[in-house]
Amino acid sequence: MTAAPESAAGEVVVRAAGLQKSFRLGLFKKRIDAVRDVSFEVRRGEIFGFLGPNGAGKTTTIKMLMGLIFPSAGRAEILGRAVPSLESKRQVGFLPESPYFYDYLTGAELLELMGQLCGLDRATRRRRAGELLERVGLGAGKDRPLRKYSKGMLQRVGLAQALINDPRLVVLDEPMSGLDPIGRKEIRDLIGQLRDEGRTVLFSTHILGDAELLCDRVAIIAQGRLLDCGSLDSLLSPRLLHTEVIYEVAGQKQIVQLGPEVDVDAALGEALREGKHLVSLTPRRESLEDLFVREVAAGAARVERAS
Amino acid sequence: MIGRIIALGRNTFREAVRDRILYSLLFFAIALILSALVLGQLSVHEEGRVTRDLGLGGISLFGVLIAIFVGVNLVYKEIDKKTVFALVPKPIRRFELILGKFLGMSVTLAVQIVIMGGFLALVLVIQGAEVEPAILRAIVLIFLEVMVVTSIAILFSSFSSPFLSGAFTLGLFIIGRSLPELRELVEKLDIGGARELVRAGLHLVPDLRLFFVSGSMIDGRYVSVHGDFIAWSYVGAAGLYALGYAAVSLCLASLFFSRRDFV
Repeated sequence: MTAAPESAAGEVVVRAAGLQKSFRLGLFKKRIDAVRDVSFEVRRGEIFGFLGPNGAGKTTTIKMLMGLIFPSAGRAEILGRAVPSLESKRQVGFLPESPYFYDYLTGAELLELMGQLCGLDRATRRRRAGELLERVGLGAGKDRPLRKYSKGMLQRVGLAQALINDPRLVVLDEPMSGLDPIGRKEIRDLIGQLRDEGRTVLFSTHILGDAELLCDRVAIIAQGRLLDCGSLDSLLSPRLLHTEVIYEVAGQKQIVQLGPEVDVDAALGEALREGKHLVSLTPRRESLEDLFVREVAAGAARVERAS
Repeated sequence: MIGRIIALGRNTFREAVRDRILYSLLFFAIALILSALVLGQLSVHEEGRVTRDLGLGGISLFGVLIAIFVGVNLVYKEIDKKTVFALVPKPIRRFELILGKFLGMSVTLAVQIVIMGGFLALVLVIQGAEVEPAILRAIVLIFLEVMVVTSIAILFSSFSSPFLSGAFTLGLFIIGRSLPELRELVEKLDIGGARELVRAGLHLVPDLRLFFVSGSMIDGRYVSVHGDFIAWSYVGAAGLYALGYAAVSLCLASLFFSRRDFV
């Protein structure tokens, strides 16, 4: 499956073509297909969401892009350079899932080390480390060893180290997982800022609310297959699912769901005449969650038919 | 590239220091003082000799044990603690990580051996014994040996678990130290066609006896750290052998490490 046509404009930052990964596990070397024939493109300046349930193959795909796992078949490019190569890595900042860093280092030392690995000179890495730690709100904690950091702080220092080389593409694997609502909002705001700075962001998540708030385009992946890919507008059906009306009758709340075929004005007029009080009225269109459930269920059915 | 390897090496050294590996030196110091005092009392007028033997033996034993136990964990820990996930996507090549780890570990061992050697010299001075230059040459040989052992530990750990890597490295160390005896044994045994195979196998094992010379015959001379010891030219040749062996081990380790999937 390829990207939706409306995204055809703009420079391609990530191109994955027919990526596959099989592992051989256990005593009898049973073959597990973690990723099967996944192709997609991420374009410059967009926030691209990689969505799927746990174990869908999101992390394996991202690790293939990052040079951590070698694909069994297919190829990937970052900014026109084959993956993995020093040239492709120079343009990328990566935050791994639940990141682990050397816990004996302080936040400032970690950024210093990562800056050295990115080949930055001393003055540049000092300046950028200071700016980034301030930006992610770790200015005060930068001289504390990482073993004393909370999960949210680790995530933030992880984002800072991903940005040390001023990358054009930022790849984040489950950046919101395990964070409290405030932590999640902070990371969401940061991702938005990255786009405003002209960077391209690819992130994976199974928290659909985050994707709905942030993403320009999404890819949905389940059981190692890419089920759908495109902008949220093109994927979500604009059709009305139902209208949810809440009345109050004799001090009791009453919830009524009106189907798309019902004349809402007429139904409402009748209810008010019967002495009911209107509390709320919400038209429900398809959400990302509905789409996700629909796609994953359809994908599972396809796999079942095929086998 | 050199800058990245040095950065990785410095980080490995820093890890060793902050994980308090150097504290093991304190144990060495106490053990050396106590045993030198006790055994020195037993050997009349030979205190210096006993301290030299104990000290050099202790430095070698400590160096090798640290090289094995820390060495096999160098690469494994990166994978087990998932720090490799943040490192490999940086603009580095995977072999630079292996070389950086080796460099950092070699510096750690060098610092340890220098401190232990300094301590040995101090005990000798306090005992009123002479500190001969031969001790320095013996200590350099010990360092060369632990460097070879570290490279083997890294090689095994590039594809195997720390437990197995430790067992393999220790096994290879024992075989490497007994190589002359094993060679003799192979010639005496009646094993027929298997002899060629064993001979070839023994060529793959590092000849660690090159670094452990006291008490053996070299070029027809009896060599002892207490008397007629090897010259610097010998140390230089042994150094080349050590570097060559370590280079081959690290190349193989890089090859294995470069093909691994970090799941």
